[in-house]
Amino acid sequence: MKSKHRYRYRRRANQVLDVLITLLIAGFCLGPLYWILATSFKPMGTEYLIPPEGWPSKPTLEAYRIILGIPSEASQEGVSGEGVFGSATEVPQAPSLHFLLPIRNSLIVSSTVAVCSLFICSLAAYTIARLRFRWKIQSLLLLQVAGLLPAVMVIAPTFVLMQKFHLLRTLPAMILPNIAYNVPLGTWLLAAYFSELPWELEDAAKVDGYKPFQIFRKVILPLAAPGLFSAGVFAFLGTWGEFILSSVVTMGVSSVQTVPVAILNLSFEFRYQWTWVSAAIILSVGLMVAVALFFQRWVIQGLTAGSVKY
Amino acid sequence: MALIFLLPAFIAVAIFLYYPLVQTFIYSFFKMQRTMDWLHAPFVGLKNYVTVLTSEAFRGAFLFTLYFTVVSVALEIGLGLGMAMATFSVSSRLRGVLRAVLVVPWAIPPVVSAMVWKWLYHPDAGLFGYLIHASGLTDSAPQFLTDPILAVHSIILADVWKNSSIMGILMLGGLAAISKDVYDAAKVDGARGWFRFRRVTLPLLLPTVLVCLLFRSLEAFRMFELSFALTGGGPGTTTDTLSTFAYKYFFTYSKFGLGSSYAMVIFAIVLALAIAYVSRIRKNLRFKG
Repeated sequence: MKSKHRYRYRRRANQVLDVLITLLIAGFCLGPLYWILATSFKPMGTEYLIPPEGWPSKPTLEAYRIILGIPSEASQEGVSGEGVFGSATEVPQAPSLHFLLPIRNSLIVSSTVAVCSLFICSLAAYTIARLRFRWKIQSLLLLQVAGLLPAVMVIAPTFVLMQKFHLLRTLPAMILPNIAYNVPLGTWLLAAYFSELPWELEDAAKVDGYKPFQIFRKVILPLAAPGLFSAGVFAFLGTWGEFILSSVVTMGVSSVQTVPVAILNLSFEFRYQWTWVSAAIILSVGLMVAVALFFQRWVIQGLTAGSVKY
Repeated sequence: MALIFLLPAFIAVAIFLYYPLVQTFIYSFFKMQRTMDWLHAPFVGLKNYVTVLTSEAFRGAFLFTLYFTVVSVALEIGLGLGMAMATFSVSSRLRGVLRAVLVVPWAIPPVVSAMVWKWLYHPDAGLFGYLIHASGLTDSAPQFLTDPILAVHSIILADVWKNSSIMGILMLGGLAAISKDVYDAAKVDGARGWFRFRRVTLPLLLPTVLVCLLFRSLEAFRMFELSFALTGGGPGTTTDTLSTFAYKYFFTYSKFGLGSSYAMVIFAIVLALAIAYVSRIRKNLRFKG
């Protein structure tokens, strides 16, 4: 009787400990983001209050409205009713920010890069993982060493190259190099995935007289959907966060800037408006976190496949 | 046949990675002040390298980069291992929650995470400064980003936050790959707690840890965004990494030759690390087929 009691007590203690551990790790990982979230809802100026408010006493979406360039009702009335003068007095500082623009640019760049690099990588990975040919290790090394080059190493000549092709200040100037930047990791992840696939179907397809490209398209690709998914998410997230190239080739033109460049500029331009910067952070992070969490299973699978199975 | 399949990958990598590498190598031998046309720039031989290697700034940047790499990677491996062990030990429902939580810092773009920390470190209204000041540890809120020693460690903390969780996820994969039989055997032999961790788990996890270590240190050595966006290399040049230095030479001072020799030096160091890396994973490079 007594021992049973003790057992139950210990199990309860274990459960409490589990929850504590979870809270501790979650606090570490999410705490900074919580603080940004709270700041983004604060009315302008109250982010500087000492002591700081843990959660705004009067939460407002004002910062989001300004960041997205949505005119407030007051200013709309001003424009329609009293003309320029009214709007100018009612909204002392409402710069026309369009944070949706960098988000749109980033979406275009990242998804194009993800699709194109998946195509290139899956072909290369299939070859390396499944076909017999002579310079296999050398080919793989050639691709992987490229992945080790620091970004600053290639940035200046890439800038010159883009200048020659008159691509500066355009989205393709970010899309094309980023496809290449994703090739090493993507090929690696996919090759690791392909090499785990069963050979039987492929052998059967060979017996049926399929050519390598047909096998690749009709047998391997459908089987490798989860692997393709994780490689795609990686390329997307990696490109979304890419900064050095974007900051150089956009040359300060805000209409083609991607999210990281736009956020940095915003924080320089409005260095005292931390509610705005926080709102911009939440907008750009929210989407990525949603992508990462939604595809969590594949992300973790891909990460694990790419590193642990070495 | 195989070559046709590999061709797109090779072309992409050749144009945007290997060709620029060769160009940077060529640039590094020329005096290129406000010009990007090396054909008409004066050839200066190894002079750029001498300038770089003997400069005080290079030594500072190199030491900071090295210190940053060693300290942050060590902390990240340690914390990551701790988080992986913790996540592995909790009940399966909480494990799912934790795994999702661990993905979050990794998914945030580096520049954006720098902005997050910039607000936490804000000299007037930053949460950290307030907490430390309010708890009576210091007379005034510490200047996280303008005090030389604090700035270095503020950057390290921001990096640890961003990357420990990914180390955790990787090691969690390593832990899950350890067969349950091993633990059963350990149980029979009476190995528990710290002893089991030290003598059973850790040795079996070591390959994963090693891969994580090399993979992270290669990345940390190239660190750019945090230092660029958080402190801009300041105060002075205390938190300039080799990468931000090269970037400044390129796009602030327009000295492409000097910047290129900086980049080449980084490359030489990264290559040395990479050789260690590849020789570690070489035996697994042999895909069947």
